[in-house]
Amino acid sequence: MNRSDHELPCEEALDFLEPYLDGDLPVAEASRLREHLERCPDCAAELALAARIQRELRSLPQLDCPPEVLEKVRETGRGEVVPFRPRERVGLRIAAVAAVLALAVGGAALFLRFERRDRPSPQEIAQATAEARYALAYIGKVTRRTRMNLQEEVLQKRLVVPASRSVSRTLGETPSASVPSSAAAGRLDKEF
Amino acid sequence: MRKTIPLTLVLLVLTAAAGWTQKLADQPGYVPIQKLDLFPRDKLSVEINIEGALLSLIAAGAKGEDPEFASLIAGLKGITVQAVPLKDVDAGSVHAKIGQAVRWLEDRGWKSTMRVREEGEETYIYLKEIDGKIAGLTLLALQPGDEAVVINIVGRIDPEQIGRVVENLHVPHMKKVPASGKKPE
Repeated sequence: MNRSDHELPCEEALDFLEPYLDGDLPVAEASRLREHLERCPDCAAELALAARIQRELRSLPQLDCPPEVLEKVRETGRGEVVPFRPRERVGLRIAAVAAVLALAVGGAALFLRFERRDRPSPQEIAQATAEARYALAYIGKVTRRTRMNLQEEVLQKRLVVPASRSVSRTLGETPSASVPSSAAAGRLDKEF
Repeated sequence: MRKTIPLTLVLLVLTAAAGWTQKLADQPGYVPIQKLDLFPRDKLSVEINIEGALLSLIAAGAKGEDPEFASLIAGLKGITVQAVPLKDVDAGSVHAKIGQAVRWLEDRGWKSTMRVREEGEETYIYLKEIDGKIAGLTLLALQPGDEAVVINIVGRIDPEQIGRVVENLHVPHMKKVPASGKKPE
C-alpha cells in the first residue's frame, strides 16, 4: 500500500470504498478518494474487488421464503410464552429447597441454643424445683390464710358453678349448685 | 396458581418457626409482672422466673417422687413470683400498684375468682380462661406489716390437681431467692 499520499491515507481511503460504490460518499470525499486511487494501485485493486463482489451479489436470484415457513414463524410468535415455564418450575424448586433449609437451620439453631445456653445443671433444676414448690405453696398459704379451699371454693366455684347455673336455668330447675358452701357463706364481707 | 405455591411454602415455614419459637409472653395466661413494675426490683426478697424447658426438666425430675406435682408442672409454661417485705417499701405505693395491676388484669379479660379485703389485708386471685379451661392464674396479696406478693402461673391448670398439690405444700423459708439462672446475692 502506498502511504506517501498525505492528503488521504490508505486506511481512510479503504473506509471510503463501500460508501463510494453505493454512491453515499459526499462529493468532496469522493474527489479525494479518486485522486488517491489514481496514485495508489493497492487501494484501486481493493476498489475493483469490492465492486466485483457487489456486482456478483446483485446478480444472485432473489429467493422468496416459502409461505409455510413464514406461517410457522408467525405461530411461534403468537403462541404461549414457553420459555417462562421452566423458570417458574425452577422458582418453585428454589422455594422448596429454601423452605427445607430454613426449617433445618432454624431447628438446628434452636437445638444448639437450648444445648448451649438453656441446658441447666442438676443444681439449677433442684433450685428451680424448690422455687416452683414455693410458688405453689404460697398460693396454698394465701388460701388457707383466708380460710378457703382453693380447689372447692376458688377454682371449682369459678369454673363449675356458672356452668351448672346455666344448665339449671335451661331445665327450669332450682340452681342448687349456686348455693354457697357454709365456709364461703360465713364470709360475706369477702367478694367473689 | 404457580406463584401461590412458593408463597404458601414460605408462609408455612414462617408459621412453623413462629410456633417453634413461641415465647412465654405470647401465652394468654401471661402477665408481664416486670413491665407492670409492681415492686421496686432492688427491694425484692423473692424473685422467681421459671419457664420453658426448665419446667419440663422439673417435671421429669419430680415424676418418681411426687407424680401429682410433676404432672401439674408438666402442663405449665411459666411461673413468676415477686415478693417484697413491706417494712422496706412504701406500703401505700405498693397498695396503689396492686390496684393498677387488678385493673390491668380486668381490662384484659381476667376473671376475679377471689377477692378478700380484711383488716388492711388484700388478696386477689384472677384466672384467665380460654374455652372453659384455665390458661393462667395470678395471685396478688398484700399483708400489712409483712409482705406483698405477686404470682403468675402460666399454662394448663387443672383446678382439682392444683388444689390437691397446694394443700400438701408448705411454704419453705426462702430468704433472698434469686431468679433462676442468677447467682445468689
